[in-house]
Amino acid sequence: MITIRRSEERGHFDHGWLNTYHTFSFAGYSDPAHMGFRALRVLNDDRVAAGRGFGAHAHRDMEILTYVLDGSLTHKDSMGEQHTFGVNTIQVMSAGTGVIHSEFNASASEPVRFLQIWIVPGVNDVEPSYQQIPFDAREKCGKLRLLASGKAADGVRAAAIHQDAAVYAGMLRPAETLTQAIAPGRYGWVQVARGSVAVNGEVLAEGDGAALSEEREVSLSGQGAGDAEFLFFDLS
Amino acid sequence: MLVTFWSRTGRTEKLALAAALGAVQARANIRLRWLREDVDERLVGEVPGWSENRERMSGEYVAPREADLAWADAVIVGAPARAELAGPEFQAYFELLRGAHGKGQLHSRAGAAVISGAGANDCALPGVYEALARLDLILVPAHYGSEADALQAARAHGRRVTEVARALKAL
Repeated sequence: MITIRRSEERGHFDHGWLNTYHTFSFAGYSDPAHMGFRALRVLNDDRVAAGRGFGAHAHRDMEILTYVLDGSLTHKDSMGEQHTFGVNTIQVMSAGTGVIHSEFNASASEPVRFLQIWIVPGVNDVEPSYQQIPFDAREKCGKLRLLASGKAADGVRAAAIHQDAAVYAGMLRPAETLTQAIAPGRYGWVQVARGSVAVNGEVLAEGDGAALSEEREVSLSGQGAGDAEFLFFDLS
Repeated sequence: MLVTFWSRTGRTEKLALAAALGAVQARANIRLRWLREDVDERLVGEVPGWSENRERMSGEYVAPREADLAWADAVIVGAPARAELAGPEFQAYFELLRGAHGKGQLHSRAGAAVISGAGANDCALPGVYEALARLDLILVPAHYGSEADALQAARAHGRRVTEVARALKAL
């Protein structure tokens, strides 16, 4: 079964410095029907103006993944981590017992767009940690590139998260296809970051998401005239 | 937990962040607020690091608002040991606190302070405590000499203030 979450149905706020879309309930957007999917709790599509950002704020017991689509972000936290990163990088902060951090657009002239994802951890009170893993853009072309996983990744450098879940990035040219098996009892979520993708025959546009339940596989096909980029979540 | 601090070079900011982190560790929600000083730019330029930190903190923090005081179960004030509590930044904040006090919003709330710098607990602390006590806040004293590391002590204090605030709320 596929349940589609259309882009225009998401929570949306344009604060000027921040133009944000919430796939699931977040901050000022609250909809009991959209509180998350399995352990996937937050999926925000944020566009932050040049030089602006989120000041110091706290997190606890949450796996926070950031995937930049355009531009670059500067991160600073109470663990002493301070980094600037851009596209083709997965950043994961395991908040555990508590972290205070800030995130700002690293550019004084260009906006930054990124997906911010919260995954509920399977265990609380872990020691806070920070991971930032860059990868070659070619690794996501025509295939799924593992970004983060709750299990040890075999032969690929991916971030470790405290949940039985795996997060992949993929990019497809028009008409290009790929298929990924979904193990019995597991669930999937596809989030289209840009372009258009058909998911098991259902065409999704930029910003659309799709929940997959009781599906044996996910078949993804690039649609339209341009490249499509998306994330795929394998969830328990 | 509302943590409001005044910081020039970032030292008090670190202490305030440590107290806030301790509160988060004790499962409190926190708001961090900065008291931006209104001073002559030439004076800012004379203190190494002040201008850069002022610019940075202007982006990272906002000033405390009435809504923060209505929301908070506890307030922590962060100040340098040589802070002038009679200065406009603290006076504006204490005025905001007095307004909240007048509305009964500080009833049974906890108040505490973290002070940075040499002789920290001897110089500014009594003045901050007196100001908080006049607002009927229930004071949670800092650990005198129980922690060797100032940041570690601030984290411990943040946890302690959270626990006291939680107990007060349950009364």
